[in-house]
Amino acid sequence: MRVLVIIPAYNEEECLAGTVDSFVKECPQFDYLVVNDGSKDSTGDIIAKNGYAGVNLPINTGLTSAFRTGMKYAHRNGYDAAIQFDADGQHIPTFIAPMVEAMEREHADVVIASRLVNGGKLGGMRGVGSTMISGLIKLTSGVRITDPTSGMRLYSARMIRNFAKDFDYAPEPDTIALAARQKYAIVEVPVTMQDRQGGESYLKLSAIVKYMARTILSIVLFQWFR
Amino acid sequence: MSLPLQILLILGAVVALAVVVQRIRKRKILMEDAIFWVVFALVFVVIAVFPQVAYVTSELFGFVSPSNFIFLIIIVLLLWKVLQNSCEISLLKHRINELAQEIALKDAASTREDAGEDD
Repeated sequence: MRVLVIIPAYNEEECLAGTVDSFVKECPQFDYLVVNDGSKDSTGDIIAKNGYAGVNLPINTGLTSAFRTGMKYAHRNGYDAAIQFDADGQHIPTFIAPMVEAMEREHADVVIASRLVNGGKLGGMRGVGSTMISGLIKLTSGVRITDPTSGMRLYSARMIRNFAKDFDYAPEPDTIALAARQKYAIVEVPVTMQDRQGGESYLKLSAIVKYMARTILSIVLFQWFR
Repeated sequence: MSLPLQILLILGAVVALAVVVQRIRKRKILMEDAIFWVVFALVFVVIAVFPQVAYVTSELFGFVSPSNFIFLIIIVLLLWKVLQNSCEISLLKHRINELAQEIALKDAASTREDAGEDD
């Protein structure tokens, strides 16, 4: 199975080299692609200097668009699966192989790296939001997803095509809800994650309300018309 | 409908038309997008010149006064325009992102080709 690891990076000069180097060391069997989302810092220079496999968006377009760039690359180069992998060091590369194994074993379309499937807990507001989204997905699709906000998700070729071609197909929980309702097979694999290793989060505090509003509306209302 | 409202409507229509024409001359709006404002202004003129239209319709729908009916028409037209703008901006966002993605992928492909020739 040919797997592409997509690493979206927006102003990640502090973490990117560490993330890519540890990934290459742990997972030499997988290809990767850094998508520099119009960073204003030296992220682009780090990619060039270290000779990383990467593409540079000329403007900042947001996480969804950056990830879709990687999915178009995967689609056009015939990859069988693609995984979203954070540049900030939250995701641990040794969990990629078990996720790929789970996809092959279960013929899954989506494999989610879950922090909660083995009974873990997310603290604070994050936990509240996650529980709420999880409940909505269960309600609308009947599928139980323990960690819908996990950013580390492996997608099959069928899903890669959707990301490459569809309008408003985002690497977010509402897409998981839509896929679940459309009977795509979704499995979760237990993982642990780290705190980000530096830099600033893609999701700033001010964006959280907007994120929740979009996610909830999309799951309870808009997905029925897609 | 009072005479002042009739005069206001016509004045408003004239000003709106003048502004739109000015924008077209200065190349700030596409002809296809200017159509809305011309039609918008013409609706006012029609209502001002033939106030019976407003009287009959407002009575038909039970409005207290024809001016209320006219305000409602204006609000509906404007809301519709705002929604249309929202859709258009969404589409533009989507297209800009698509273009940026294509540029990124093309750039990478051509760099790789160049590197291949060097080897």
